[in-house]
Amino acid sequence: MKEKIDSLISAAKADVSACATVADIAAVKVRYLGKSGELTALLRGMKDVPADKKPEIGRYVNEARDVITALTGEKQKELEAAQTEARMLAESVDVTYSAHEGSLGSLHPCTLVKNEIVDIFTSLGFKVARGPEIELDFFNFQALNIPKDHPARDMQDTFYIGNDILLRTHTSPVQARTMMNEKPPIAIVVPGKVYRPDDDATHSPMFQQIEGLVVDKHITLCDLKGTLTLFARELFDKNTKTRFRPSYFPFTEPSVEVDVTCSQCHGKGCRLCHGTGWIEVLGAGVVNPKVLENCGIDPSEYSGYAFGMGIERITMIKYGIPDMRILFENDARFLKSFR
Amino acid sequence: MKVSMSWLGDFVDIDVPVQELADKLVGAGFEVEEIIDKSAEIRNVVLGKIAKMTHHPDADKLWICSVDIGRDEPVQIVTGAQNLKEGDLVPAALDDSYLPGGVHIKTGKLRGVESCGMLCSGKELGLTESDYEGAEVYGILVMNKETAPLGTDINEVLGNDDVILDVGVTANRSDCNSVLGIAREVAAVLKKPLRQPEIGFECVADNVEDKISVQVDAPDLCPRYMAAAVSDVKIVPSDETIAKRLKSVGLRPINSIVDITNYVLIEIGQPMHAFDASKLEGGRIVVRRARNGEKIVALDNKEYALDDSMVAICDVAKPCAIGGVMGGANSCIDGDTKDIVFESAKFMRDNIRRTSRKLNLRSDSSFRYERGIDTDSQRLGLMRALTLIYKFGYGKIARGVADVFADPQPRKKVSVPVVRIADILGITVPEEDMLSILGGLGMSPEIKDGVLTVDPPLFRDDIENANDIAEELIRMYGYDHIEDKLIGGKEQTLGGKSEEQKVEDVLKDICVGAGYSETLTYSFTGEKGFDILGFAPDAPERNCVRLLNPLGEDTSVMRTTLVYSALSALASNALKNVREAKLFEVAAVYIPKALPLTELPEERQKLVIAAYGEGYDYYSLKSVVDKICYKFGISPVFRRSNAPYLHKGRGADMYVGKFSFGSLGEVHPDVAAAMDVKQRMYVAEIDVASLIRYRSRGYKYVETGKYPPIERDIAVVVDESVEAARILDCAAKAGGKALRSSRIFDIYRSEALGKGKKSVAVKLEFRMPDRTLTDAEAQSATEAVLAKLQKDLGAVLR
Repeated sequence: MKEKIDSLISAAKADVSACATVADIAAVKVRYLGKSGELTALLRGMKDVPADKKPEIGRYVNEARDVITALTGEKQKELEAAQTEARMLAESVDVTYSAHEGSLGSLHPCTLVKNEIVDIFTSLGFKVARGPEIELDFFNFQALNIPKDHPARDMQDTFYIGNDILLRTHTSPVQARTMMNEKPPIAIVVPGKVYRPDDDATHSPMFQQIEGLVVDKHITLCDLKGTLTLFARELFDKNTKTRFRPSYFPFTEPSVEVDVTCSQCHGKGCRLCHGTGWIEVLGAGVVNPKVLENCGIDPSEYSGYAFGMGIERITMIKYGIPDMRILFENDARFLKSFR
Repeated sequence: MKVSMSWLGDFVDIDVPVQELADKLVGAGFEVEEIIDKSAEIRNVVLGKIAKMTHHPDADKLWICSVDIGRDEPVQIVTGAQNLKEGDLVPAALDDSYLPGGVHIKTGKLRGVESCGMLCSGKELGLTESDYEGAEVYGILVMNKETAPLGTDINEVLGNDDVILDVGVTANRSDCNSVLGIAREVAAVLKKPLRQPEIGFECVADNVEDKISVQVDAPDLCPRYMAAAVSDVKIVPSDETIAKRLKSVGLRPINSIVDITNYVLIEIGQPMHAFDASKLEGGRIVVRRARNGEKIVALDNKEYALDDSMVAICDVAKPCAIGGVMGGANSCIDGDTKDIVFESAKFMRDNIRRTSRKLNLRSDSSFRYERGIDTDSQRLGLMRALTLIYKFGYGKIARGVADVFADPQPRKKVSVPVVRIADILGITVPEEDMLSILGGLGMSPEIKDGVLTVDPPLFRDDIENANDIAEELIRMYGYDHIEDKLIGGKEQTLGGKSEEQKVEDVLKDICVGAGYSETLTYSFTGEKGFDILGFAPDAPERNCVRLLNPLGEDTSVMRTTLVYSALSALASNALKNVREAKLFEVAAVYIPKALPLTELPEERQKLVIAAYGEGYDYYSLKSVVDKICYKFGISPVFRRSNAPYLHKGRGADMYVGKFSFGSLGEVHPDVAAAMDVKQRMYVAEIDVASLIRYRSRGYKYVETGKYPPIERDIAVVVDESVEAARILDCAAKAGGKALRSSRIFDIYRSEALGKGKKSVAVKLEFRMPDRTLTDAEAQSATEAVLAKLQKDLGAVLR
């Protein structure tokens, strides 16, 4: 009996190792372990075993079943894995090929810069404000301390629509409109399109500015400098320094031009900054008390600062764009490069 | 404003290098745009005389010149120029010399003959005709009028021994449009005393009253008019010192008298005019408003028609000058002039600005009047002119001056609390610094009981309040004292974007996500665009805001639609053979309420999407539009569009109720042809405010359903003209409350179906939120849908 069992195990071993497919091993399982399988047949032969040998032989048969079950189970796992493997290999695709073309689009580089600037100031508590592009002379000039026939009007050539209606030459009229409608504390940032009759490599008849205005009690030139330094460090890099140079704008007094250390050479001097190490990016100043008064805010109680910059100019500096007209060409390939 | 270092030196001792001075001026608010030092560019070039000229033995066109440069031996220089003769005075660049542009001249051989330098043309020395007469003649610069010894450095001969600063003067500092004005600032930044202009002359026995009388009928436009008389004038070329200085700042010397008026203008900033006294009828100057239509020929020999807003300087019979702008040809100085009258007047800033613009006539005088002249400088200017007449012996000065001064202005003191200054600057400037800075600017400052009082000179009428004083202090004290602070005092404010801006950001995100790139196009366009888009003559789109002074026809009106701008952007890409372009922009259109404008027009934000490219079709465009509508929870009705720029069969308007808020479609073939685009273009324009208005807001939790849905697919054959929206509409109406959704998943055409027919497959999904739906219920709902389709659309189940 034992011999029969041993030879059955050997035969099963041989059969299992001969299996090549999941179906083969299933057949082997049936052949040895099935209801009419060979091991079952052996068990049926137990009735002829003498009674005193039965426990031993019984254990022997059970062990044999365990061995064969394990053998076939292992082999089945192995073959199933191979089968999945083979299927995946058969199903393999060219992973380098892009079947569904169509990438993301892009925001205009000026919008990227504008968004960056707006985000910096909104996080500092500035609200984004807006105003009309077709504007009254009053808001664009007179309220800002630029009366008719004032020489300061030469600083901003103007597109006119009527005697008192024009295309705004700067975003500053929104300052006046805001101050007339809101009470301090005021902190606004105003992005928008502005217009001046210039057209060359560094000027476009339409361009975008972003303007800031803060009005509250005890606002000083130092607050302006602190805000702008923080801003420049966020926009350019964290080592950027700012420098004030005296200048003149009718709506601020004192007025300054603000230079930042050149983002390309970090102040060493290069082509971008014409060797000076500094780049002029902003005009700013303390709000002229006459402007506060024109807008119904008491200058003896309140003071403020204002600043403004050209978005195209900063975009050109940031991305190294040599000619402003490129920004308005709308070449799809150029636009797509600003992800 | 160009000023020369030597001219500045008349008024202040400058003991720092020019670059350092320039830096200090920048620090004080005067941008130095350029430092011009011609002498630095020209080295080792001297005045020479052609002693002898002989033909080159081997070259017909070359001359061998023996040039006398005042040394023992002449130098030999070969030249190819043909305009020379023996005895001519010429600029000779010697061995190892430099010319403008870094040109280096060395001894060499020309066709075997040694040439120890080069004779120079005017151009090679960087000269133009206005710098030196004959400078632009073809050939070598001939300088036969020069009297300097041979061998004199050419920089000295040309007056290049001076350095010029080109200083930017801001509009508030009209007092600095003069050498004296800049010198005042230089004195302040260098902390040096300022020397006043030299005044001193003797008069002859004649009284000015006997020569000229002045009557001012328009004191509102001419608050002060001064005149002086000079007889027996010499009209000759100016003395070298005057001529050289005028040349150094870019003015061409004319004659002794005219040059003095220009010299005073540049030096003092006071415009001057000289009349030929014999041409002033009646010995009288009348300053009055011009009469409407009154004509005068000005010194530029052009005739100008004046009106009664302008000042005319007249004699008893006729206008002789356009006040503050330009003299008249009828009274000007010429070679025969014997007696002159000098005018030194103040005209009003605004008035001269208007006159100059109306006449389109600008001059150095009008430039200065437009910026403002104080009432002190008329006397100084006149005295200075007479001093120069006397100094150079150009005429006999009559005793006294005429002076009609309507309203002498007192100096205005300004007092502010000292603490106010710190409140503006954010730092404290020590009081002793305040006093020394303001004192240096001639403002006679005083501090008493915490109050700072300044008494600014008349030429500083820009000093009116604490901010003005703070600016004067900080520009001299130094902006590097300003510290970085972060809005210490400000009350907390909440930052953020407005609703409309947030919506625009969302729109941009969707477009970018869908593969479109944002453009930036001009807000102005040309009316030609309306024609190309095919708008009827009375189309509302043609009702647009026009610019009075556009740069060109193409940028002359404010756009009322973004479509033309977007198509132009597509066209420019197509023209460059860009394979595909998918573009979008959010921008305003400008809708006038009435024309001409009585109030500001409405500025409506629009989204435009435009594209072309292989495989791009109407449905590519519609899918972006659908995404946008989905995002805003709007289910618009799409109706065939009549927009003239859209393809008749492939364009739609989008409606909510009766209101159309956008349109989309393929571009009309004629429009594409007119724009020279061969590709099919697609464009959509959507009103942003409408998206906000019709948006469904506030998401709420809706149970997604634990009970299983039942799907039913049906396919029906309908006429080609039956639109998808109508089929889905039938389904929605007949599907009962268990119908969750219906969508078309296939459209199929075949010969078997027949021409003009299509089979449309619709997937219906049924589900109840509170219980399991039965098959029977789904079946009866499906049949209801089919019945509706059959009844309304003549659909046949396949």
